[in-house]
Amino acid sequence: MANTNLVKEKYRLDIIKYRYLFLGITAILLIPCIIAIIYLMSTQKNHAPLKLGIDFTGGTILQYSVDKKIETSEIGKIRTTLVNQGVKNPVIQTTTQGSDNLVSIRTTFLGDKESKDKAGEITNTLNQNFGKFELVQVNSVGPTLGKELLRNTLTALLLSFVLMVVYISFRFRFEYGWIALLTLFQDALFVVGIFAIKGIFFDTTIDSLFITAILTVIGYSINDTIVVFDRIRENMRFLAKKYSSNEIINASINQTLARSINTSATTLFTLLALYFFGGATIKDFVLAIIIGVISGTCSSIFTAGTILSIVKEKMAKKNA
Amino acid sequence: MKNKLILFWIIIALTLVCAFVDYKKPASLGLDLVGGSRLMLEAQTSPTTPKITPEIMDSLQYAIENRVNAMGVGETLVQRVGQKRLLVEIPNITDTAKAKEFIGQTAELEFKRPKILMNGTQDWESTGLSGKDLKKALVGSNPTSGEWMVELEFNLDGAKKFSDLTKELTGKQMAIFFNGKMQSAPRVNEQITGGRAQITGGEGGFEYEEAKQMVDLLNAGALPVGAEVIQEESVGPTLGIDSINKSKIAGLIGIGAVMLFMIIYYRALGVISCFALLIYSIVNFAIFKLVPVTLTLTGIAGFILSIGMAIDANILIFERTKEELRMGRSLFTAINSGFDRAFTSIFDSNVSTILTCLILYYFGASMVKGFALTLIIGVCLSMFSAITVTKNFMHLVFGTSELKYPALFGLRKEEIESAYVAQQTKREKAKFGVLD
Repeated sequence: MANTNLVKEKYRLDIIKYRYLFLGITAILLIPCIIAIIYLMSTQKNHAPLKLGIDFTGGTILQYSVDKKIETSEIGKIRTTLVNQGVKNPVIQTTTQGSDNLVSIRTTFLGDKESKDKAGEITNTLNQNFGKFELVQVNSVGPTLGKELLRNTLTALLLSFVLMVVYISFRFRFEYGWIALLTLFQDALFVVGIFAIKGIFFDTTIDSLFITAILTVIGYSINDTIVVFDRIRENMRFLAKKYSSNEIINASINQTLARSINTSATTLFTLLALYFFGGATIKDFVLAIIIGVISGTCSSIFTAGTILSIVKEKMAKKNA
Repeated sequence: MKNKLILFWIIIALTLVCAFVDYKKPASLGLDLVGGSRLMLEAQTSPTTPKITPEIMDSLQYAIENRVNAMGVGETLVQRVGQKRLLVEIPNITDTAKAKEFIGQTAELEFKRPKILMNGTQDWESTGLSGKDLKKALVGSNPTSGEWMVELEFNLDGAKKFSDLTKELTGKQMAIFFNGKMQSAPRVNEQITGGRAQITGGEGGFEYEEAKQMVDLLNAGALPVGAEVIQEESVGPTLGIDSINKSKIAGLIGIGAVMLFMIIYYRALGVISCFALLIYSIVNFAIFKLVPVTLTLTGIAGFILSIGMAIDANILIFERTKEELRMGRSLFTAINSGFDRAFTSIFDSNVSTILTCLILYYFGASMVKGFALTLIIGVCLSMFSAITVTKNFMHLVFGTSELKYPALFGLRKEEIESAYVAQQTKREKAKFGVLD
């Protein structure tokens, strides 16, 4: 049934021939990510691999829309003024999107009864000294809730990993399951690593939306990997007697290549539109998914197939 | 062929109904899009109430609901979360600090009698008459001085207690405490039996706002336990409108780019997928409105992402169909087997996405839930749209005709002809839909 002509002498992309090269490139790309993660884990007090935002540590973020651009020199002044007013460890960040200038101020939790109207005081001070500040968004998370959210999201991550492996092992075979898990892990590592680097250099923190992004990436990447595996499974069923597993895997990846690239292209179109034209508050969220979608496509083309071919080779040798 | 036409008209009718729903029914928008506050309150234990029971939560929720309603700002929501938390959503408010103060106050009214301590100083002790004994409170003004004051009307039980208390305290002072703070301590001249009392604001009297707030709080009832705000998300109305506009633009550009790509790459098939995508979007929005799904910024992101995934099913099918065509199958067979073979991929990959979304929905915060929900709806609908709508359109457009213009599918003639030769002997079989 499957077309025997599919297994050819030459391919558009010879995965098997260059498999160690591809795995090597992947490893090299992952090194800076791993370094950044280890760096943050060893330097941060809470040993988190990323800079955690208020969702997980507790705290308050006040977001202002400002009528003019705030220069970097002014940020220092704003910080000193706020500190003098009794605001604890304020972190001030500016973002510009189109004609909008946004300033966000992150500090300790202001929701409790002692700090009654601290937010209002901050707004007044800013308006008196630095121009027209309009409070457009307030996010506050109490410290105990933060810990709880962190625990919940980590559980969710772990659970999704386990479910994916179980599902794939059930629909395919066990080795497919753990290889898929490996590709998922690679994608998650890549996204986390890039945000760790962003955290080190730009002080980017992550919130619960970031975890959502990771889970979405996992869902997407498994989607991609399954399509490749599904093809390999189908071809194995009909061609296994005639051809080696390497030949079949190579043919299958080439068959699904156009689909893999086109699908990630269309998904990226929508994501890029969201990144450049969508709301400023979900920018990092969309960026995380973009990185993950690119990584997910690459991992399903380059990692999943190559590792499967190595495993199958080993299994064949054992049986022989 | 007849069945396919019937299905076609069913799809069209369904789309029209959905379009009508889209047009008629307003979308329910989340707080981050209309502006407003979402507060998470946690009931606080105290020495007198060391454990938060469901009964306490019931009365806490009732009291908070009353207060939120007293603000009169439209569609509010007070919902239990877990064992000792309440989620409060208040749209369209600008001064969140004030709202927080109003909602979080215990609002306990107490009448106290004087008590001489051992060292000779005077203190106050509870009498058992409290805000629970009120029937209602009103804002009034003192006929002589014109100052604002709070008029109290006791219920039957309260009136009796008040009458007894005033009899006991005739000639002495009686203090009225609100939120633990003494409001006034008038001298009782005689027993009061009418079941009515006033609170004047002490020296200088009340501001109107102050009296009004106290009345609202008294009417809403005291909180059985203290409640602290442990999470707040507030969005100003301008940011909300801005977010809606930006999401609209991003969505249109995203869909436009996807459609353009599909038409350029897959030609005729691409045009079909564009129509399928259009129907998908119309039906999807109708579902959002009928369920109803409250659209948030992340929810919209989920929807836009689901468009990318919906098109994936089409791409899988088209690639498979093209492959079959290259192998020299007839158009009809190619379309059918393209669908059949793509189906396992579509099914397995979508199930895995749905699984992750379910986890997100179960564990996620409210913002995350919106994203997961729209993505689940999108993925489920995309399976329907790919398998029913796209397939139906493909059959209707191409029918059982021969493949005359491979360019319509983005294929080169040479590609197919070479395959034709290789597959020559099997062509007859393939025509009957038999796959070898």
